[in-house]
Amino acid sequence: MGDLEATRLAGKVALITGASHGLGRALAIAFAREGAALALCARRAPALDEVASAVARLGADVLAVQADMRSARDLARLVAVTLDRFHRVDILVNNASELGPTPLPYLADYPPAAFDDVLQVNVTAPFRLTQALIGGMLLRNHGVVINVTSDAAITGYPGWGAYAVSKAALEGLTRTWIAELAGTGVRMYAVDPGDMDTDMHRAAMPDADPCELARPDDVARAFIQLVASPEPAPVGQRVEAAAFGR
Amino acid sequence: MVASPIRPLPSLPAELRANLPAELRGLRRDGVRLMVIDRTAQSIRHARLAELGSFLRAGDLLVVNRSRTIPAAVAARRSNGEIVQLRLCVRHAEEWHVLCVNPDPPHANVALRVGERLSVAGTDTVVRGRRADLPLLWRIDALSEGIERMLRSGEPIRYSYVPEPVPLSHYETVYANEPGSAETPSAGRSLSWELLLDLRRQGIDLSDILLHTGLSSLQDDAVDAEHPLFEEWFAVPPNAAQAVNRVPRVIAVGTTVVRALETAAGHDGHARAMEGWTRLRLGPGSPLRVVDGLLTGFHEPQASHFDLLRAFLAEPLLDRAYREAIAERYLWHEFGDLCLIL
Repeated sequence: MGDLEATRLAGKVALITGASHGLGRALAIAFAREGAALALCARRAPALDEVASAVARLGADVLAVQADMRSARDLARLVAVTLDRFHRVDILVNNASELGPTPLPYLADYPPAAFDDVLQVNVTAPFRLTQALIGGMLLRNHGVVINVTSDAAITGYPGWGAYAVSKAALEGLTRTWIAELAGTGVRMYAVDPGDMDTDMHRAAMPDADPCELARPDDVARAFIQLVASPEPAPVGQRVEAAAFGR
Repeated sequence: MVASPIRPLPSLPAELRANLPAELRGLRRDGVRLMVIDRTAQSIRHARLAELGSFLRAGDLLVVNRSRTIPAAVAARRSNGEIVQLRLCVRHAEEWHVLCVNPDPPHANVALRVGERLSVAGTDTVVRGRRADLPLLWRIDALSEGIERMLRSGEPIRYSYVPEPVPLSHYETVYANEPGSAETPSAGRSLSWELLLDLRRQGIDLSDILLHTGLSSLQDDAVDAEHPLFEEWFAVPPNAAQAVNRVPRVIAVGTTVVRALETAAGHDGHARAMEGWTRLRLGPGSPLRVVDGLLTGFHEPQASHFDLLRAFLAEPLLDRAYREAIAERYLWHEFGDLCLIL
């Protein structure tokens, strides 16, 4: 990436959930390199603080908020402290995801409470966060929401149980919301980053060959393309990160 | 602004106090009723908020208050172990002005000692003293980490006519942005994006200002009856001022919007971009330099809200409207029905 392309997100405020590891961490660093101010959240404070320090060293104005995506109070606090600090959010990346128990059990064997947890983190939290932030975006008639999905949403792999269900629901949420946003300046996407070399992927598929997996840093670049692009992707489509921007 | 449940109109039956938001009463947010008062025709009509567009024209501008409601009631422990409830009213950078009440209904005021230490949401603060102009408000050191502490353990301020706790999201407008209001800017609480986007397609534009509301009641009938006035932080951004100055008719959504826009209005009838603390008091005879119409809730005649309405309506029409609202069984207070004054 040349200098001419840098700081395409200068003056923008992005909120990234699940920013302590994997894709979320890579997104935080990529967004910081492009000049965005960042609100980052994760459940575990030490790993989150490490990422916050890393992006601060890149010159980003950063706010780190420890939050549990299953808690409505935590979500409300995350939104409020972010807006108290930055006054607006231009880009929301609903990245935090819960895989569920590993090794991945069949649905017939799935612990019901774990099922609820996965749905809360992967569907309810993105709904609540988006709802709490989209009002400001609609007032400004400008904003981008990216929901991170997975091919598990459309394939039906054995053992991907609640995770697959949650991502299918998240894509349904995205499609409906896109239709309701028609004619406004607010864009929403469901982006499938593909199989990446992350902790989550290792937990799900311990035997996968890392050489065949995408690097989160490369995938993050595709996200930058998407948010910085003046050409919105077509309504109703899921976007595969591998298809562009690498 | 929310009225205090004091000295009710003799003719206001208790069941007309909305005790739940519309969307928890089996309606939609925008399913509340709308009384339309036309000052030119001296007429009063009855409709639904969802029909708002039929009373407006292309070119009208709706201005909303984008302040987000915070859970402004928080428990505090005094050094003697007593638990009290603090209600955040005014948030200056270094010093907060709070009401201190008993945590249980009817939430009577509790006197603190100057210099005493309070433990609030895991942090400590010190009572600096009373406000000279409003002695029921205590000056305390601003909490470290600011409103983050309130958000961790506070609850929305709730008055006696709302018997059960209502989740915070129902105290927020659908366009809530920056946090800072102690109480819901309630006229806009019933607006839905479905309605607002429909209005936009109809050529009725939307703009926003910021005004962080304070408390509508200091939990003292005699003090409340004198309509205590305190400063509220507001911002009229440049694009809002431009929009207001460009259109033929400006409809304020809520009295907080009137307060902000009229503070920013010059004698030339133009709004200018401005931010700061407003102490503007509007009442009968106050000039309305930029606001042409008002969407507002129903609050009791004892509340300061009524004073502001007198800037819009002459006494006979105001009287008629409120009698008709009671006869027609409109619901009152922050979760109640609405009134459009044109």
